[in-house]
Amino acid sequence: MKAIRLLLAKDLRILGRSPALLAALVLYPLVFAVLVGLVVRYASDRPRVAFVDLDRLPETLTVGGQSFNVKQVISEVQGSVDLVPMEEEEAERQLATGGVVAEIVVPPGFSSKLRGMVESPQLVLKTAQGGLSGRVEQQTQALVYELNRRLQDAYIDANLEYVTLILEGGEGSFLGNEFDIVGLEQAEVMLAEIEQTSDNPEIVDRARELVTFVREAQLALGASGDSLRATANPIELEVDTGAGRTWLLSAQLQAYALGLTLAFICVLLAAAALAAERDENVIGRLARGLVRLGDLVVVKVLLAGVVAVGLGFAIALLFGLLAEILDVTGGEPWERLPLLVLGLALAGVAFGAFGTLVGALARESRTAVLVAFLAALPLVLIGLVPEGAAQAAWWVAQAFPFSHAVDFFQAALYDTDPWTTLLRETAWLLGLALAFGAAARLAVRRLLV
Amino acid sequence: MIGPNGAGKSPLLSILAGALEPTEGQVTAAPGNGRHARVGWVPQRPAQYARLSPRENLDLFARLEGIQDPSETSDRFIGLLELPDDGRPSAALSVGNQQRLNLAIALLGRPEVLLLDEPTASLDPRQRRRLWDVAAQVRERGGAVVFATQNLEEVEHFASRVVVLLDGSVVFDGSLSEFQQSPEADVFA
Repeated sequence: MKAIRLLLAKDLRILGRSPALLAALVLYPLVFAVLVGLVVRYASDRPRVAFVDLDRLPETLTVGGQSFNVKQVISEVQGSVDLVPMEEEEAERQLATGGVVAEIVVPPGFSSKLRGMVESPQLVLKTAQGGLSGRVEQQTQALVYELNRRLQDAYIDANLEYVTLILEGGEGSFLGNEFDIVGLEQAEVMLAEIEQTSDNPEIVDRARELVTFVREAQLALGASGDSLRATANPIELEVDTGAGRTWLLSAQLQAYALGLTLAFICVLLAAAALAAERDENVIGRLARGLVRLGDLVVVKVLLAGVVAVGLGFAIALLFGLLAEILDVTGGEPWERLPLLVLGLALAGVAFGAFGTLVGALARESRTAVLVAFLAALPLVLIGLVPEGAAQAAWWVAQAFPFSHAVDFFQAALYDTDPWTTLLRETAWLLGLALAFGAAARLAVRRLLV
Repeated sequence: MIGPNGAGKSPLLSILAGALEPTEGQVTAAPGNGRHARVGWVPQRPAQYARLSPRENLDLFARLEGIQDPSETSDRFIGLLELPDDGRPSAALSVGNQQRLNLAIALLGRPEVLLLDEPTASLDPRQRRRLWDVAAQVRERGGAVVFATQNLEEVEHFASRVVVLLDGSVVFDGSLSEFQQSPEADVFA
């Protein structure tokens, strides 16, 4: 235990003498985390979808008396997907080769069915096989929902024009027949005149009854706009973009930033620190009985754990201070920081154990750093693949501490009831640390050769 | 221990030091009272932390050796081997100073057996004399010094027993006078 403490203090002292290296190791993953976040947010959110128009939609489509600029409408509603117009043959080819993830086909007769308002026209969605198809289907449903909503608004507006005509009177047309009507407002005036000028009490009574009816009808029809819209959209979604936490300080980005930083720093540090014992020709001196080889692995794993706690805590503080200064919705859950520290230590130890394995296998520190970087990068990226998108990648990611660390950090900081997740991820991180540590212990003898 | 480059001198010394495990056979160095002998090892390439100063290196290894007063011991060896004590990392020292630090670390545990792997290769004549003086102290305490060299003068001056290695095998093992009369002496002359 004394040897472990002495060597750990030595490693921390040496690390403290390389502030530039430490700063680069911290800044690089943080920048990387933001870039990955941007890619994840803006690339995967808008899959490329082919738009095949077999109906040859006109530039302007009139439905329910409302004219739509087809191109403009499509460009306005394609928020969730990137619709790319193309011919059917090209769309089929690109779907087969992965150029597009789906194909939306407007079949012949679509616009005439739409204009007829008797039968619902259909769009055809073709998706590729694989993990993304479900997501594309959801995003296409969102697009169709948005189209339907616009058409609904057009139908309602058209209906309301007739209601206005009934209320106010004037010229109009329906199913090709043109007409000129008085309107309820004018009818009320005319009935009032009859009521005042007629000598016949029976006519006066009837006129009075009709005036009452006209007034009630005016009231009812006046409210028909709101009731029509309410019937068409029983539940409306009000979007308040200012109410949520800004993306740059979101729980997800914070967890990823911590995970990425620790993944790179701890793996590289542990790998380089272990291999450096051989580079400096000290491992033989240590192995002569001063330090057991297993203890040497433990020292490097603990070094990664200590650095992970220190740096991770500093990053969490930075996020927290920014959240407080910018008055971000939700603020920073300061009371959860002790849980986060536990996660940082576990993640650091697990990443460190993986790093020691890399260092023992690489044997030489420069090679170890290169191998650690080359190994950590794809393993981290695989960890970003969401469950269900690519099952094989997801399973590979489970064998590396990154995704478990991210899940732990997210749960520790923001889950209302985090305990199940924390226990599960603690077990994973400890298990991975033991497995990688044991493998490193076996491999560390290579450093003596 | 003499032999051409690649004869196996350094690996054998590493095995004697306990830094390498032998593929067969075993090493015994018992002082006679049932305990293992204390062994000090000076590898050919300095074995110390390049970013720590000589004092920090000595302090660390003294603590790892379990020496009672590591600071006092570090002071003593810095004085004995005239090591610089200005806080510079050992990587910034001359090759000769690095080699003396290497020797100082090996001597920290008061070794009964001192293993020296071509110890004078990078030392000037004054430093060489100092090294052999220190090695002589180990012998005076009843210990043994095993050194690998390609310098026959050093063998003649300081060795009482000579082992000649060739391609990993012992081709001669005898006293200095036997060696001087053997054909191997002519090969290395």
